[in-house]
Amino acid sequence: MSEEDRKFLEIVDLKKGFGSGDTRQEVLRGIDFSVAKGEFCVLLGPSGSGKSTLLNIIGGIDGADSGYISINGDRLSNMDEKKLTWYRRRHLGYVFQMYHLIGNLNVEENIETGAYLSGSPLDMEELLCTLGLYEHRHKLPNQLSGGQQQRVSIGRAIVKNPDILLCDEPTGALDYSTSKEILKLIEDVNRKYGNTVIMVTHNEAIRNMADHVVKLRDGRIRHNDRNEHKISAAELEW
Amino acid sequence: MVGGMAVRIKKRKNPLARRIMRELAGDWKKYLVVSLFLILTIGFVSGMYVANGSMEASAYSGRTLYRLEDGHFELKTAADEDLITAIESGEKVPVTVYQNFYKNETEDRGNDGISDGTVRVYAANEDVNLACLMDGRFPKEQNEIAIDRMHADNAGIRTGDTITVGGQVYEVVGLLSYVNYYTLHEKSTDFMFDAIQFDVAMVTKEGFARLGSSPHYCYAWTYVEEPADEKEEKQFSDDFLEALFMQTLMAGNGMMDYMPAYANPAIHFATDDMGSDKAMGSVLLDILIVIIAFIFAVTISNTIVREASVVGTLRASGYRRGELVLHYLSMPVIVTLVSAALGNLLGYTVFKSVVVSMYYNSYSLPVYRTVWNSEAFFKTTLIPMALMLVVNLAVIVKMMSHTPLQFLRHDLKKTKRKRAVRLPQWKFLTRFRLRVILQNLPNYVILFAGILFIATMLSMAVGMPDTLNFYKENAQDMMFSKYQYVLKSCKDENGNAIATENTDAEAFALTALMRKGGAIDEEVSVYGISRDSHYVTIDRLDALEEQEVWVSSSFAEKYGLSAGSIVTLDEKYENRNYQFEVAGIYDGYMGIAVFMPMRNYRSIFDLPEGEYSGYLSDTEITDIDEEHIATVITERDITKMCDQLDHSMGNYMSYFQILCILLSAALIYLLTKIMIEKNENAISMVKILGYENREVAGLYLFSTTIVVIFIDAVSTFLGALVMSQAWKTIMAGFNGWFPFRIAPAGYGKIFAFILIGYLIVMILDFKRIKKIPMDEALKNVE
Repeated sequence: MSEEDRKFLEIVDLKKGFGSGDTRQEVLRGIDFSVAKGEFCVLLGPSGSGKSTLLNIIGGIDGADSGYISINGDRLSNMDEKKLTWYRRRHLGYVFQMYHLIGNLNVEENIETGAYLSGSPLDMEELLCTLGLYEHRHKLPNQLSGGQQQRVSIGRAIVKNPDILLCDEPTGALDYSTSKEILKLIEDVNRKYGNTVIMVTHNEAIRNMADHVVKLRDGRIRHNDRNEHKISAAELEW
Repeated sequence: MVGGMAVRIKKRKNPLARRIMRELAGDWKKYLVVSLFLILTIGFVSGMYVANGSMEASAYSGRTLYRLEDGHFELKTAADEDLITAIESGEKVPVTVYQNFYKNETEDRGNDGISDGTVRVYAANEDVNLACLMDGRFPKEQNEIAIDRMHADNAGIRTGDTITVGGQVYEVVGLLSYVNYYTLHEKSTDFMFDAIQFDVAMVTKEGFARLGSSPHYCYAWTYVEEPADEKEEKQFSDDFLEALFMQTLMAGNGMMDYMPAYANPAIHFATDDMGSDKAMGSVLLDILIVIIAFIFAVTISNTIVREASVVGTLRASGYRRGELVLHYLSMPVIVTLVSAALGNLLGYTVFKSVVVSMYYNSYSLPVYRTVWNSEAFFKTTLIPMALMLVVNLAVIVKMMSHTPLQFLRHDLKKTKRKRAVRLPQWKFLTRFRLRVILQNLPNYVILFAGILFIATMLSMAVGMPDTLNFYKENAQDMMFSKYQYVLKSCKDENGNAIATENTDAEAFALTALMRKGGAIDEEVSVYGISRDSHYVTIDRLDALEEQEVWVSSSFAEKYGLSAGSIVTLDEKYENRNYQFEVAGIYDGYMGIAVFMPMRNYRSIFDLPEGEYSGYLSDTEITDIDEEHIATVITERDITKMCDQLDHSMGNYMSYFQILCILLSAALIYLLTKIMIEKNENAISMVKILGYENREVAGLYLFSTTIVVIFIDAVSTFLGALVMSQAWKTIMAGFNGWFPFRIAPAGYGKIFAFILIGYLIVMILDFKRIKKIPMDEALKNVE
């Protein structure tokens, strides 16, 4: 792996706070780490540790007070709003804890909202099969279970074949077995399409399936480890 | 770009576009109401434009086709060859003069010896002021007559019927439309035409000779060289009048009437009125579109709030602001576009015919041919589209200015979260309802605008019949005497004063001057009143200085006069004017008039002692020879206007009232739907807590009911106020004054009509609340 690929995503001395004066709260207090291309990176930490804020800054939907993030050598802080939108459009896929699907579009169409953004989207049928949604493709979101809805939202994020897939507590609203299915799906996607995955979670068990684990507490990195003994999502227990 | 199975495909259609049809289907009731609202309004206004355009085109082309005069004048006696030659040669403006004599005769439709009105009979000619045949044929025999089509419709006369004109029986062989009588104005100073009791007709030359009345020596003229524009036409007319006045005077003749075509309401009223109808229709449409645009904007704004997380996700995924703005904008645009297309389709077919029949019910217009109207397209398609776009674009762009993160966090308030308004320690339910009201304030503001608009419309629908009724019922009080006899001269051929034995009779003097400089040149009746008059009772009238006058309250109201104001009045045919100071306002007469003592009158107008114009009397004067009487003004002269307005608009006002009820119901339906949708979760939650449907309705509907009743009451009065101001503007363009009135019961009616609309909606809303499932509150929690 080249140096460039090793530092595909680079975060340097990133700081972010909210509020002012007495109510000022520092959420990120100088974050430094890098993520390699194609890596499955997990951001761990308790509530309020700053992991979602960090993910939002990586995703270009929030800004840092200081420090910078560069992706493939491009600094986000140098981008204006238009460029940031373009960056998200071309390079990022987002998966949230809640699925945020469009109620009056069916499964296929919801995924198409992602495909529309890409000049070279993935093949829809094959993706639907990968997601296990082919037979449900004409259903509306309210006809699906929570796990199926999350699959659709993953499909929507991945169909444009993004360089980076950002997942914010994607299993937070799901039960144990469905969570495992979703994690397996993300793992499959990561393997099959080679996207870099950055997943925010407070579930410690998920660290075992990641290539790279960054643990945050009080806005600082407590651990930044490569996982030499990663296991598959199917083997996870918690 | 990472590898895998990426394939290059053609640029996709935005999948969000598919939502639109589904949104339409999913909420079809709402869009149906909005579309019907738009289709009917656009259709009617489009129909109005198309009908107007087509009828105007035929009316204007008819002016050439049917050889319309450039004006006419009436002489005391028939002009001899020399006078005609002198007039035609014109010192400044050469003209061609045509003899266009007429006779005013009684019309007896039932042939029962009782006069039903006046018919102005012309002999057929081929030179000037021709008629368009609408039905039957032109008269060929001396006992045949063709009468005005509109009068025939109003009077129930058909071809083949016989009528008695001036005591002679004629068979009606045709119905026609004279090019110089598009509206049946008996006199050019009439406030309103009268197609019920006034008629114009054509007979053969022999048929004309059968009639016994003395003819009116009317001559029409056309300019040899056509004036280039209206300004030049007016200049031509002024120059021609100046010469004509001198020529007739020198020929020992006298001018009884002078009327250039551009100032003749019988020629212009219809086309002008159609123009003002269009303008009013267009303004009403614009107001309605803005209201609907705001309803759309509120709906879309609520949808964006509801879909905030989806919007946030799409924005976070890379959707541009513009793409989402376009997406949310497409619904109002599509609905407006489709409604405008359907509305125009109906406008060119159904509504055009409705409007045409309305115009044929009021005006005596010639046959028309439907013509394409680009103005209709502009006013009923492009302008509504632009209004819809601007209002919605502003709201959507403002909503979309939030960051993706704000959408994802549902943090869409620009301002800091408002602190809850502290409410007094009232009962829980009262406070709950108050919270509902406070939460929905923006919607209530739009509801207020909509209801105010409808209340204004209703004020017209209710106030117009009220005004006409008041006017008719009080017509007698608005005259100082039951009869006003205006004599041709106060002396007979032998120089003896024309006197009467009638003890009620009281001499008065009258002349007409013009008030210039307003929207129109208005004719003002100037009265000289006898000392101690018992018809015009003005305190200390005789003590007035020479330049002091009292003015009628109508005059004062129309032109904002009060004691001390200066009024300048011009001679009709001479370049001379008079200045008067208003000494007081006289309440007992509804015309546009000024009053002065007889003594002052004679002095101002250089009249000899003993000169007067006629008699005021409460009883009929029977001992003055008819040939000395120029005209008799009775109550009918006042009520005929009401009869005509009632006939032309009365029925439509009832329909209009029903339309307004439906409009108010539709508008309230749309807005309460938004409010209920906004509160679906809360309603579902209170149901879970154990509230019954009735109690939930009591919380949510009762709050809206209180607000609607309040808005209804305020709008009723404000709407009447707006209408009465609008009325003043409308009246400025007409001769005379006609105050707008709504009877006390009329206010109740307006209030009740809007409430009826609301009650219909309340039933639907109650059903809607009943339908909200209890799991709604649990379903969408994020």
